[in-house]
Amino acid sequence: MHDDLLLTLLVLLPFIGSVFAATVSSNARNSEAWLAGAVALSCLILIIAAYPAIVANGAIRSEFDWIPALGLSFSLRMDGFAWMFAVLVSGIGFLVVLYARYYMSPKDPVPRFFSFFLAFMGAMLGVVLSGNLILLVLFWELTSLFSFLLIGYWHHNAAARDGARMALIVTGAGGLALLTGVLLIGHIVGSYDLDRVLASGDAIRSHALYVPTLVLILLGALTKSAQFPFHFWLPNAMAAPTPVSAYLHSATLVKAGVFLLARLWPVFAGTTEWFWLVGLAGTASLLLGAFFAVFQRDLKGLLAYSTISHLGLITMLLSLGSPLGAVAAIFHMMNHATFKASLFMAAGIVDHETGTRDMQKLGGLFRFMPITATLAMVAGAAMAGVPLLNGFLSKEMFFAEAIETHLHSVLDTAEPYAAVVASAFAVTYSIRFIHSVFFGQKPADLPRTPHEPPFWMRFPISFLVIACLIVGILPSVTVGPFLQTAVVAVLGSRTPEYSLAIWHGFNLPLIMSLVALIGGALIYVALKGYLQQCADGPPLFRLLDARRIFDDALVILSWRWARFLETSLTTRRLQPQLRLLVLAALLAALVPLYARGLGPLAAIPSRIDPVLALVWLTGCACAIGAAYQAKYHRLVALMLLGGAGLATCITFVWFSAPDLALTQLLVEIVTTVLILLGLRWLPKRSEAVDEPVTFASRLRRQRDLAIAVAAGVGFAALAFAVMVRPLPDTIASYFLENAYLMGGGRNVVNVILVDFRAFDTLGEITVLGIVALTVFALLRRFRPASDSLGAPEQQRVQNAFDEAQPDRKQGDTVGDYLLVPAATMQWLFPVIIVLAIYLFLRGHDLPGGGFAAGIAMAAAFILQYMAAGTTWVEDRLRILPVNWIGMGLLVALATGAGSWLFDYPFLTSHSQYLQLPLIGSVPAATALLFDLGVLGLVIGATVLMLVALAHQSVRKLRAARLSAAAGEESP
Amino acid sequence: MSGWMHHLLVLPVVLPLASGALLLMYNERRPFLKGVINLISTLATLYVAVMLLRLADTSSTGVYLLGNWPAPFGIVLVLDRLSALMLVLTGVLAAASLTFAFARWHTAGAHFHSLFQFLLMGVNGVYLTGDMFNLFVFFEVMLAASYGLVLHGSGPQRIRAGLHYIAVNLTASFLFLIGVSLIYSVTGTLNMADLAVRLPAVTESDRGLVEAGAALLGVAFLVKAGMWPLSFWLLGAYPAAAAPVAAIFAILSKVGIYVLLRLSPLLFGAQAGASAGFGSQVLLIGGLATIAYGMIGVLASQAMARLASYSILVSSGTLLAAIGLSDANLTGSALFYLVSSTLTIAAFFLLIELIERGQSPAADLLAVTAEAFGDEDEDEPEDEVGVALPGTLAILGVCFAGCGMLLAGLPPLSGFIAKFAMLAAVFAPPATGTEGGIALAGWIFTGLLILSGLAALLAMLRVGIRVFWAPVDATVPRVLVVELVPIIFLLLLTLALTVRGGPVMRYMEDTASAVHAPERYIDSVLTAPPVPAPAAQVHR
Repeated sequence: MHDDLLLTLLVLLPFIGSVFAATVSSNARNSEAWLAGAVALSCLILIIAAYPAIVANGAIRSEFDWIPALGLSFSLRMDGFAWMFAVLVSGIGFLVVLYARYYMSPKDPVPRFFSFFLAFMGAMLGVVLSGNLILLVLFWELTSLFSFLLIGYWHHNAAARDGARMALIVTGAGGLALLTGVLLIGHIVGSYDLDRVLASGDAIRSHALYVPTLVLILLGALTKSAQFPFHFWLPNAMAAPTPVSAYLHSATLVKAGVFLLARLWPVFAGTTEWFWLVGLAGTASLLLGAFFAVFQRDLKGLLAYSTISHLGLITMLLSLGSPLGAVAAIFHMMNHATFKASLFMAAGIVDHETGTRDMQKLGGLFRFMPITATLAMVAGAAMAGVPLLNGFLSKEMFFAEAIETHLHSVLDTAEPYAAVVASAFAVTYSIRFIHSVFFGQKPADLPRTPHEPPFWMRFPISFLVIACLIVGILPSVTVGPFLQTAVVAVLGSRTPEYSLAIWHGFNLPLIMSLVALIGGALIYVALKGYLQQCADGPPLFRLLDARRIFDDALVILSWRWARFLETSLTTRRLQPQLRLLVLAALLAALVPLYARGLGPLAAIPSRIDPVLALVWLTGCACAIGAAYQAKYHRLVALMLLGGAGLATCITFVWFSAPDLALTQLLVEIVTTVLILLGLRWLPKRSEAVDEPVTFASRLRRQRDLAIAVAAGVGFAALAFAVMVRPLPDTIASYFLENAYLMGGGRNVVNVILVDFRAFDTLGEITVLGIVALTVFALLRRFRPASDSLGAPEQQRVQNAFDEAQPDRKQGDTVGDYLLVPAATMQWLFPVIIVLAIYLFLRGHDLPGGGFAAGIAMAAAFILQYMAAGTTWVEDRLRILPVNWIGMGLLVALATGAGSWLFDYPFLTSHSQYLQLPLIGSVPAATALLFDLGVLGLVIGATVLMLVALAHQSVRKLRAARLSAAAGEESP
Repeated sequence: MSGWMHHLLVLPVVLPLASGALLLMYNERRPFLKGVINLISTLATLYVAVMLLRLADTSSTGVYLLGNWPAPFGIVLVLDRLSALMLVLTGVLAAASLTFAFARWHTAGAHFHSLFQFLLMGVNGVYLTGDMFNLFVFFEVMLAASYGLVLHGSGPQRIRAGLHYIAVNLTASFLFLIGVSLIYSVTGTLNMADLAVRLPAVTESDRGLVEAGAALLGVAFLVKAGMWPLSFWLLGAYPAAAAPVAAIFAILSKVGIYVLLRLSPLLFGAQAGASAGFGSQVLLIGGLATIAYGMIGVLASQAMARLASYSILVSSGTLLAAIGLSDANLTGSALFYLVSSTLTIAAFFLLIELIERGQSPAADLLAVTAEAFGDEDEDEPEDEVGVALPGTLAILGVCFAGCGMLLAGLPPLSGFIAKFAMLAAVFAPPATGTEGGIALAGWIFTGLLILSGLAALLAMLRVGIRVFWAPVDATVPRVLVVELVPIIFLLLLTLALTVRGGPVMRYMEDTASAVHAPERYIDSVLTAPPVPAPAAQVHR
């Protein structure tokens, strides 16, 4: 088969299977198992089929471009080492699927289980087959993710949730570190391609960034392999269903860490830093795991700590930097996977059959399940390193390596002793595992009566145990060639001579083995009584509950520290936000001005006109007064604001900008009136302070005042600086020159608005329309504060007057209020409309235009509402302001789009003189149509806001009527 | 580009405006009709955007002279890869949010559909315009519509947060206007390309004013982008907004980013003479601070909507810092991240509403306290038979996991690729022959990026476990298909971004190199010829 197809299929097949598995109906145990088994088996067959090619060529490769710009390719590569792992992953995967078929309850929602299981298998195959380090990291993180989902499969159990979360956080964080490390490798080597990285060992080791890179890579590998000090997640992950533990926590997931260490061994190993970092982690895990394992009550807990210990052994072997050590490490990876998976499955059977995994409760099961017991005993013996089993072989190699001197140091000297002590403990816990479960007293109160499991549930264990035996007895014939292929793949030309024989003579390693075996047995005898009744966990250390500590750490991190920081860095109040914003603006303007200077203020006017100065003084006084009164006297503030606006209008007139002045005046009027109408509905503010004025609040106010003054003065200074400097060569001159010639209008402002920059105007009128719609939407749901619901004071006084007079009905005075002005206002309606039309028509040549006309027209409507009241007006005038807005926009748009018909860009205008009967030659521009749209929109928007405000009174009346009616009914 | 294709350029603005105006002609009692018009317009705009993307990728910078006035005098619209990319992204988000809104939200207040279209018009206008004042106008259109939308659905909390939003953004607009007028007063032009030409020639005495103007503009954009400490409004407004509104708002903070990305290299790139690199330090430091702040917020958030809002800040901070580092390769990767994170956050906001539908606030609080003070029932007997998740929850769970992976930057979705791409640019091997190390800023950026991913992982795990694995009261929310489809669509897009990473990344790198070498942009704008007048001269 073609390499590309084979490798791609290998990685994709499990994922495809996963998708299928997820879609099967729940509780379909058999079909799920068939599917998963078939996928695993096909993978295994594919892998085995590839073996000859690997032996012949060293490796098979397949590469697809993925993101070439980033050096990321979908590159797969299977050499002997990857092959060995792929066989483990798919082979043990197949066995575990078979086992899980019987293990999982018929009621379990297995589609989820098998789907995650297969996806995990795919990710794991991806890790071992990746030929690009980034791809490896990608699959690496996927394994973390799916292991999280698998550990948390029984997520209704708190232990499962916590264990899963812990596993993901630790391994996921390690994965992030690994990613950074791989990126550093890419920085050093210039490529993420595994082949190129493996060839660049010298460059990496001599690079200045070697140590950071190494530390980051190690963080990834050690967290994954549950090595000290990151070992704590593995025992907590035992809340997973046993098939998951058998697969992930013996053969695959945890092996990914040591896989990576071995994979990158040629690149990183051999330095002092490597020796110390990896060696310390390995030795510590080896000892600590072995010691802790002895004191576990939970069968799976024992196995988990034993796994930590055995992986520590592998790590330590790799730390030595000697090729023989690497050989031993690779061999032990293989051996450990076989015996540990079978032991996990045996533990699962015990659990399944008896309902407990507590070794203090179990005992004497040999008579109930002799075959399982025998199998477990062989596997346990392999774990203990008893001769004639595979565990013994790699342990002998380990001893042999431990006594060699690699780098003169304390660690190197201590290693043989550590090795013997840890091995002794390994013997102890192996004996405990077997003895406390299968021998001794018959259990008294087991949840279930045990019996042998079905044959096919036992089959995976039998298969693996037989493998242990065969490898242990005939190593060089059976496993030798495969190991050799794997070793050559890692070590290349540095492959040492080694022998897989069982008997190497009566040498030091053998003595160490014997010491460990005898010592371990003695320790068990000594501790047996204690172990039968002690609490879970080793003495003293059992007080340190990793799960609790980890949870507390998380809570402290996110609940205490992060919350504290968040609250101290955040504000939810508006005032500080605005203060920050003003400060930021102040700073933003000051820093460049401070650095570059404000420039020369060349044209400071020498003569100041007293009249204009007076207008400005008044305007400034009004503005300051408005700000001063804004909090408690809104009406006063609003009036003062109007004064400031008038001063602006006058300034425009003064400097010959009649168009601006006209528009400004109209806008001032209409907005002031609208706000006045709205003021009525705002809740009252009392000047009485709700909190005592402290020194701090006084200080705060002073500070805010200072900021406000600084910002105001600053902007005034900026404006002044701009206005007194000579005009640069602006685009304005173009407008002045071309307004009539090309825009067809003499009023340059208007031509700019409706022609040169009509697009801006289009946007701005849209804004106006949107604002009106928003105001309407907001006010439609508006419910005034209770204290502004009553009639205004003036009306109350007038009503009181009516009541006092015998000949007047209540409401007469209110009805007659402003009678004469009201009549005038009603009569003014047509006049104002004519004025508006006049303003509109002359706009292109003289001050005026659609905007001013629209505002004027709106003023006419406002007057009607004020004069006659909402109900009266709306009974007579059918205004649909929303439609006016829509029409206005559509007309303006249609004018703009009209130029498309002549293949000119949007909004291109056309103007010419029209010969009209009676009137004669009249200038006409399409821009006038555009202006018509503006007119319509401005009317619509203004009136819509007016209506929204006016209807508050109507609604209030209705609400009052309703509440009155309710009041009458209730008594 | 010639013929009618040329007019495509203005359609992303004109189309939403026309449909928004048209929608005003129908009254609120016809929500279905309005919805259909809105949807047709949104999809048509998206289609136009995709066509423009193709155009931008194959031909040179497109320039559209509005009113047929030559640059720099009239207003120009400019289409390049960057603007086309943003148009498509916005269109996608709009389609998703709108579909989601059909389930219930679109009738929760007046004029939703019109405001929605106007928002699109504003956002699209911001991307396309090549004129500073026109940019302000479109900012206003966008903001005005967003004011209406943030209040959509009413309720005291929405009004309070909405009014804060309005107050802060109005102030920012005010600064924007001051900034534009300062720049105009010194340079005498509003056209961005012309500005880029004139800026290096500004005299030393005027430079302070121009830079002050640019800095004020920058403040306005940074408010929009959500840089700490100008971002607090966002944390109130986004969670309070209705879900589809929050989802489309995910693009609004990116609009601030877009403008900074457009203007910073154009006006203050290497060619800008004495002002070269102006403000990039602020972007860098502010961006880093924002990532840190967002990360802390993500960790501290219990409510999902708040978590999502903080994620926006993390994303903004990352982009700001990336722009501040001013490196073309990094910008390319950052663009990829921009797309990925925007899609993520939009999907997440939509999802949150569905998830929270099934929960009572009290149960939430209970779960939170249980976590902080330990579970009382820790020794519960362990039941070794799994429980099946109901179908709806399973789908929501998968979507949630997708969002979590995207936020944390875990594979296989695009969050991982985006993060990797940015880090790869930071750690790019030095060019041969040069002794290139990794700058301190690069290290800090990397560290914060990794840590913020971790923080997102922690927070999402906490929330996810609380909601899906250990619900206090297990009610299954009632969810309509029309609400699930847009979420799944957005998440599938992130998957597509991953799978088609090669071409996407190629596009992003081309975009970035064009942004960092704006000569072509400037040249295209300033030399764009108006359509010649017809032979018969019409003006007298």
